[in-house]
Amino acid sequence: MTFWTALAGMVAVTFGARYAGLALRTELPAFWVRFLHFVPIAVFAALVTPSLEGGLGEGEIRAVGAVATALVAWRTKSLGLSIAAGMLAFWLLRIPF
Amino acid sequence: MRSHPFVHGFSAIAPLWLGVVPFAIAYAVVARDAGLSLVETQALSLLVFAGSAQFTAVGLFATGASAVGIVLTTFLLNVRHVLYGLALGRRVRLEGWRRPVAAFFLTDEVFGVVSSRRAPTFAYLLGAELSLFVTWNLSTLGGAVLGGAIPDPERLGLDLVFPLAFLALLVPLVRTRVELVVALVSGALAYGVARASSGGIPIVVSGVVGSLLGAWLTRGHAVQEPRLEDAIREVA
Repeated sequence: MTFWTALAGMVAVTFGARYAGLALRTELPAFWVRFLHFVPIAVFAALVTPSLEGGLGEGEIRAVGAVATALVAWRTKSLGLSIAAGMLAFWLLRIPF
Repeated sequence: MRSHPFVHGFSAIAPLWLGVVPFAIAYAVVARDAGLSLVETQALSLLVFAGSAQFTAVGLFATGASAVGIVLTTFLLNVRHVLYGLALGRRVRLEGWRRPVAAFFLTDEVFGVVSSRRAPTFAYLLGAELSLFVTWNLSTLGGAVLGGAIPDPERLGLDLVFPLAFLALLVPLVRTRVELVVALVSGALAYGVARASSGGIPIVVSGVVGSLLGAWLTRGHAVQEPRLEDAIREVA
């Protein structure tokens, strides 16, 4: 049956990708150690920009929310407070529009 | 009072539940609309456990796509996890059975929170992973049972939780000029690539290009271990 065949394949490729990186345990050259230092920075930035705008034409007030989050993250380094500040700014600005 | 690392990891993910719960519900509603049974809807959440891939796959099931097409799309969406594993594998000691277990539950959110933690342990990692897994699966079940009686999370703006979370994780990591350049270039590149292809591709391309750029710009510098003292703290 197509569903269960597809599911088996999905599990295989997803688990394969998740395991492959963790399984590599060799000593890396200095260049690649520095490369890995930048991976979280590059990936987090790439996880922010494509989905920040949203699909409902609210790009500007969502951007204001992002500024609020960035400021609170910079001052407090608290994940929960940073998200709360951004969502609160966004929801408040949403009211008049 | 110091809580167990597992509990600490579990609660570190809690701020993201606000985004995870409505999205798992939305996924389940879409999956049921696409004609998947309750068991099939839940099986994807239990065994694949990858939000964007699950959403895409149920869309493809609805259009009658082939199993090969669905699996290839899933691979493209999820190949970014290779990068996460490479980065995490150097920071968390994982021996024997712990490595496949840690791999099975690895997600963007867990990579984010655990990368920002100084000296994370397996227990902390597993706590963060199961925090997301349990929430994702219970919410899938809720959505699959309750169906369309639930408002669309995008209308509530709850999809904004995810970019905000990764922005909050990013900000404290950017301390040098090179790190700022890498963040700006990667963000701009991902935005551009996302115009042409959706899902995991922008993350893979930007993650690799941005990290290569950072490694190249810091050539000749002494190798430094990730300095995460300034990283984001959890709510716990």
